[in-house]
Amino acid sequence: MSTRINPDFKKDLIEFGIDEWNECFHCGNCTAICPLTENGFLFPRKGIRSIQMGLKDKLLRNVDPWLCYYCGDCSDTCPRDANPGELMMALRRYLTSVYDWTGLSKKFYTSKIWELSAIIIFALLIIVLFAIFLPLNPNAAQLVNESGGVMINSLVDGVSAEQFVRIIEYGDWTMAIIVAFLLISNILNMFYKVVLKDNSVSIPFYAYFTEAWRLIYNFVTQAKFSKCDSNKFYWVGHLLIMTGYSIMFAVVVVFLPEFQIEEIKDWYHWQRLLGYYSTFGILFFLVYVTISRIRKNEIKTKYSHPTDWLFIVMLGLTTITGILVHIFRINGMVAATYYTYIIHLAILVPMIMIEVPFSKWSHLAYRPFAIYFANLKRAAYAKEAKTNVSPAYA
Amino acid sequence: MKNIKSIGIYFHNPKNTNGSALNYSEIEAYAKSLPVVKAVWNSDSFLVAKLDDIGTAIKEHGIEKIIIAGDTPGMIKPLFCEVMSLLGYNKEPVVLASFRKYGAITELDTERAKAILYCAVKGIPFEYAAIPGEKQAKPETLVIGGGIAGIQASLEIADAGKKVFLVEKTGTIGGHMAMFDKTFPTLDCAACILTPKMVDVGQHSNIELLTYSEIKGVSGEPGNYKVNIIKKARRVNLSTCIGCGSCSAKCPGKAPSEFDGGTTMRKAIYIPFPQAVPNKYLIDADSCTYIQSDGEKCGVCVKFCPVNDCINLDAKDEEVEITVGNIIVATGFKTFDAKRAEQYGYGKYPQVITSLELERLINAAGPTEGKITFRTQDKKGNPIFTTESGSPRSVALIHCVGSRDENYNKYCSKVCCMYSLKLAHLVKEKLPDADVYEYYIDMRAFGKGYEEFYQRIKNEGINVIRGRTAKVEQQNGQLLLRSEDMLNDRLIEQPVDMVVLAVGIEPGEDAGDLSNMLGIVRDEDGWFSEANYVSDPVNTYTGGITIAGVCQGPKDIPDTVAQASAAAARVIQSIIKGKVKGSIKDISLENIESKNK
Repeated sequence: MSTRINPDFKKDLIEFGIDEWNECFHCGNCTAICPLTENGFLFPRKGIRSIQMGLKDKLLRNVDPWLCYYCGDCSDTCPRDANPGELMMALRRYLTSVYDWTGLSKKFYTSKIWELSAIIIFALLIIVLFAIFLPLNPNAAQLVNESGGVMINSLVDGVSAEQFVRIIEYGDWTMAIIVAFLLISNILNMFYKVVLKDNSVSIPFYAYFTEAWRLIYNFVTQAKFSKCDSNKFYWVGHLLIMTGYSIMFAVVVVFLPEFQIEEIKDWYHWQRLLGYYSTFGILFFLVYVTISRIRKNEIKTKYSHPTDWLFIVMLGLTTITGILVHIFRINGMVAATYYTYIIHLAILVPMIMIEVPFSKWSHLAYRPFAIYFANLKRAAYAKEAKTNVSPAYA
Repeated sequence: MKNIKSIGIYFHNPKNTNGSALNYSEIEAYAKSLPVVKAVWNSDSFLVAKLDDIGTAIKEHGIEKIIIAGDTPGMIKPLFCEVMSLLGYNKEPVVLASFRKYGAITELDTERAKAILYCAVKGIPFEYAAIPGEKQAKPETLVIGGGIAGIQASLEIADAGKKVFLVEKTGTIGGHMAMFDKTFPTLDCAACILTPKMVDVGQHSNIELLTYSEIKGVSGEPGNYKVNIIKKARRVNLSTCIGCGSCSAKCPGKAPSEFDGGTTMRKAIYIPFPQAVPNKYLIDADSCTYIQSDGEKCGVCVKFCPVNDCINLDAKDEEVEITVGNIIVATGFKTFDAKRAEQYGYGKYPQVITSLELERLINAAGPTEGKITFRTQDKKGNPIFTTESGSPRSVALIHCVGSRDENYNKYCSKVCCMYSLKLAHLVKEKLPDADVYEYYIDMRAFGKGYEEFYQRIKNEGINVIRGRTAKVEQQNGQLLLRSEDMLNDRLIEQPVDMVVLAVGIEPGEDAGDLSNMLGIVRDEDGWFSEANYVSDPVNTYTGGITIAGVCQGPKDIPDTVAQASAAAARVIQSIIKGKVKGSIKDISLENIESKNK
């Protein structure tokens, strides 16, 4: 099979955070020190080779960047200071833009104006919709229940509590369906590029089913990630934010009528505890990563792309406004609850609409599926007995 | 060449100058005073990484020629070349004014830095502009360092009938080469080449050998250097010692043998190795019981010495002063401390050894009589190798330990590839059933017969693997090496019994002091700088001082010998003429300016 060389390919990568690709002299140290690399999936060096040689097509069918969780060992020990870990990170940004068939991802990654404008448009849309259709009841001061909490669903004049929840729920579902559609279509695109276009392997049909359970297992436990770093703290933190966010997402989208209720339960009620856990999980990791990125004390947080910061800021603001809504509600501050609620949504919606399908957050889908696709390929290799069993010279 | 009317000077990195203490504000002021210089920039003017800004600055002043001045300005030349080509010029008008290259480093060299800049502005190579005058030279020569370079240079000059003082820091001449078993690529016995030369040095009537001595200070001027030398107390009379060994046999003090690379122990009173020149005993104060107890204990060597007054345990260091016309610096190197590369576990796992240790093991006169055995411990717990400690069934050699690595030394040590191939061959020869693995980054077989040697080794059943080993770990009593086997596109985890680290080479610890004493320059890596890398590889910018061997930069034995002979040729030339070139630092700025107007 012929391979096309694209000499200008490197220049496409600059905006994604790769500004130096010639440092590497191919000693293989990074691959050897990586705890996740294995026969058939050798990275990061081979990826760097592809960049240097302009092998765009080869990189597109490569899942390796997604198998890397960026522990930073490779960059720490690289004899050329070529920073292979950050190159992998930048490749993930690039691949995100490749999988996205709409082309918006590339725009958001390469242009701050595009990304900020998109966020502002969504935020304004939410504010305008509320201002026109769901304004605050002028007599809102009385809308507190017997325990002194704000009746959050009854703040709009002429809209019953039941109707209000329904409206928000429909909004949520609309958002969820759009995001799901984009993500699924992007994953199919990824599948096409990574598996179908890779003529070097023929996947045995049964593998699609046998490997499926590992997809779910890895999504829930992040088992691969735990193998990555000697610093388990980071893995725990990531598990906290992942579970916290997943729970919050389920609560907000799927079970909204059960959770967004007028009554304020006791603090030890399971519903509230679940919410507190999620908030803690998200906040804990967010604070850790923010401090780390400011201090640049670890190799993986030393280089921050603008989109990394935007993600942290958006998620941070969403969490803080969410906490504020909760505090205002308990203390019966009606107007404050209402306006903070709108701000909360005005940050949350653009964050999900932009970050999840088009930007950093898309890794929640690409990573587990990359592992799935890698496992498919591995099954194919095993079937063809293509790989050699180490030790090679035994 | 057309007459250039406007020049722009960029001062590269004046704030972070790698130990350079030049007065940059003074140099910049001087640059502005030159008539053709239309613009002077530094890192405050624009960011060099932004090509647009450079382009704007060039167009603004209509610059025709750019000079990049600084300690090591070559690093950013490509950026300016790119800008010039983008602006439609060719690259020739980008010129370097490298201060370090011409030895301008300390604050006192600011005048010279100006002269370098002046020459760059005028378009004259500095080395042609700044030719120092000649001075009367004394016929004696000092050679510093008694390794193969120092030996070769001394013999060349002495054979020409001229007086040589050879100063060696340790108790014997021979240096590192004496420790090696074989030389590559011919697999000749190193000692068979070296020891006759050593004996020649010891017996030569024109060579005054000062072993166990160090340079304390140098004064005077080219052609007439006064050198103060400390003769450290050897405590054994060189003229009366008969080398019988009675003292050593009874001596209770022990220390790791320097000559054997720490693979075995030697006594406090010892001969470094059997073929040492001078072949006389010496006492190491740090391990001597008598000296460490301030004369209260021991003294047994004196009792057993059959010669009267041969051993004087209370002897003190002496200082001598000699006057010489020329000095050859041949101080060699030290090997990279493998403990610094923690990932390879040297010092942690006993079966990780350095190439120098293996060299001694393989040597038939070494501690194991040529057997490759495991490291074990003596009764007092000192790590040693003995003939009984068992042999490895698999040995791995790791190249580039401490070389070609931004974390340690970024340069290539040049000899490690070849000596590793040689060692691999010798291991296979000693242990035919053992598996031998070599992990390399790039195989640098650069000399005559070297590539053929590499091909020969590959056909001897040695597994040569392209891929650096990232780390060495212990597993089931063996050492596990993980690396990418690049040429076979696979990852390998190889358990072996013994790991040999091909340590790189570094400038000696006292190279800095010596360069200050002699007024010669060192490059960023610490090697002594030659006047011109291509055309004048033995002279320095200081008159009457030449350099030879690895102290100038990593090189193998043939190159070292060649360079030592070249340095000797320069010295003989000077002795015959009775004159020596002066130092560039003695030429004033006005002198250069007026000469090149």
